[in-house]
Amino acid sequence: MSVLTPDRVFASSPITDKDEAIREAGRQLVGAGAVTESYVDAMFDREKTLSTYMGNLLAIPHGTNEAKDEVLDSALVFIRTAAPIDWDGNEVRFVVGIAGKDGGHLEILSKIALVFSEEEEVEKLLAASDAAELYELLGSVNEE
Amino acid sequence: MTDSAVATDESAKGGVRVAVQKFGTFLSGMIMPNIPALVAWGLITAFFIPDGWTPNEGLASLVGPTIHYLLPLLIANTGGRMVYKERGGVVATVATMGVIAGSDFLIAQFNATLPAGENELGQVHMFIGAMIMGPLAAWVMKQLDKLWDGKVKAGFEMLVNMFSAGILALIMAIFGFFILARIVNWIMDILSLGVSWLIDTGWLPLVSVLIEPAKVFFLNNAINHGVLTPLGTQMAATDGKSILFLLEANPGPGLGILLAFTFFGVGIAKATAPGAIIIHFFGGIHEIYFPYVLMKPALLIAVVLGGATGVGTNMVFHAGLRAPASPGSFIAIMAQTASDSYLGVILSVILSAAVSFLVAAFILRLSRKRDLETEDALAKAIAQTEANKGKKSDALSGLAASGASAGAGGTQAAAATASGTAAGASPYASTGEASAGAGGASTPATATPDREIKKIVFACDAGMGSSAMGASVMRNKIKKAGFDGIEVTNLAIANLDTSADLIITQKELTSRAQMKNPDAIHVSVDNFMNSPRYDEVVERIREQRSADGGAGSSADSE
Repeated sequence: MSVLTPDRVFASSPITDKDEAIREAGRQLVGAGAVTESYVDAMFDREKTLSTYMGNLLAIPHGTNEAKDEVLDSALVFIRTAAPIDWDGNEVRFVVGIAGKDGGHLEILSKIALVFSEEEEVEKLLAASDAAELYELLGSVNEE
Repeated sequence: MTDSAVATDESAKGGVRVAVQKFGTFLSGMIMPNIPALVAWGLITAFFIPDGWTPNEGLASLVGPTIHYLLPLLIANTGGRMVYKERGGVVATVATMGVIAGSDFLIAQFNATLPAGENELGQVHMFIGAMIMGPLAAWVMKQLDKLWDGKVKAGFEMLVNMFSAGILALIMAIFGFFILARIVNWIMDILSLGVSWLIDTGWLPLVSVLIEPAKVFFLNNAINHGVLTPLGTQMAATDGKSILFLLEANPGPGLGILLAFTFFGVGIAKATAPGAIIIHFFGGIHEIYFPYVLMKPALLIAVVLGGATGVGTNMVFHAGLRAPASPGSFIAIMAQTASDSYLGVILSVILSAAVSFLVAAFILRLSRKRDLETEDALAKAIAQTEANKGKKSDALSGLAASGASAGAGGTQAAAATASGTAAGASPYASTGEASAGAGGASTPATATPDREIKKIVFACDAGMGSSAMGASVMRNKIKKAGFDGIEVTNLAIANLDTSADLIITQKELTSRAQMKNPDAIHVSVDNFMNSPRYDEVVERIREQRSADGGAGSSADSE
């Protein structure tokens, strides 16, 4: 199974707040067969102890260390929200739900990190017209 | 020319000192986490042994096995983990069981040869054995695992893992039983003979001549946890108390120094001494008085005489502690004082403080005039102390900061130290090789990092998301800057070990990371994606690399 597939990239999700975003990201990961239902609870737990807001409009909800056994396979879900949502006082437009099994997700996650560390790249992601273009932008990162 | 010769000499000494300190840090890393177990044992003993506070025959049966098995095994496990995580810990623990049994076996054999009615030898507790075997067994395991790393057929990893560790544990236990136990029994024999000779002949107070100066140079942990704790615990097991726990932990000599500064000091030193007294005497952080001694090395005489007075007092009163007092706070010492020793221990603290105070006051009075002219000596001494330790301690930085504000006027050096702290990435940022400059005459302490940055670790709660992304960004920056030989990885905070040189965490997690690896440089960020801290780290590495090159070439040119 590919870690991030085009069908798990969403270009204009209608979600309006953080809880909804985590639930949606969790639902997608469960749907992909990557995690069990209780991983989603762990995602909320993790958020309670420490925000997963990363900076540059990005948040990366994921489970806790204790919930590692609930991860069946590595998968990511990439959600761009239609409107900015509030993430512990920070503005977020991109929600990347993560399930990591034995580091299988690290390569793509590292690409995403590099995209988001450059503000021009973030601009491009904001300007992308649809999910296919987003996927394209994320995939092309390490070809430079 | 002479200057550079002195500098070289100092840095050579520094190398030895750093090595001894590292060794000390390792020893205390094995002992410190287990101090609560020693405290529990001390309390169990205090309450339940026949002449304890509330004798209880049943509960008293905890005392023997705890000290003979549990405490050494805990230490072995910690030592093993430090070298090779849980796997090292397990092998280390089993192997140490071999050392314990081997020592018992030797002693039983010896006792069997004794004519009836002779005093039999008691058990030897394998603290030193555990401190040797723990790291050793784990290290051997680590090397063995490297041998077949990646060569095991898929599906058999678990089997190979379990059996290789099990078989090695067996072999190391046998080695411990027949060889290490013999060596450790022999070492303990010699050491206890030495100590009892010192006690019997009344020479024990002389030990202060070694201990007090070594403390001031931050070898306190190496001495206390490396030598005195194991020997003292051995003594306490037979006599119910030991004077050895008080040799290093007695806060009296330091208290005397600080009191002398309170009354007879000048400038910043005088202003900060009263606050330092609280931290030192009740908090048990002796480090805080070291700079006061370093700024006026003649004061070593005061701490040595004070220390010797304390030891002498405890000898006269046959006083001792039941278990180590760590930290060396007056409160911890009272809690561990054997029930027949309160008078002696309290007197030893008071008398050692008094002697140290009188001698220090005398020295300070003599040099008072000159001191008024060079008021900023303390700031330099703090820089020196921090350089000695190789990292800033919070208590000391606070002292430097308050010193700067208290001394308002001509204390630029103190201000430099304080602002260095503020500018540093975290309170634990190391100052390091500034030592050469600070030790010399007028060069102000600079914030050149001492620890060469080769391994950067990002740590977060799960090691799954944030830290992985942060590490990617950092790796990219390092690559762009063109540095080679720098490893950037990410981990769950629970899996941090002491191998990282620089650890980057979200600010909420930095204190946890510091507990895991106090020696690393710690950097806190609140934005993993584009933190300005990353560029500071890159800058720091750049400075470090150019400084290395620069130092080499300037040495050549002289």
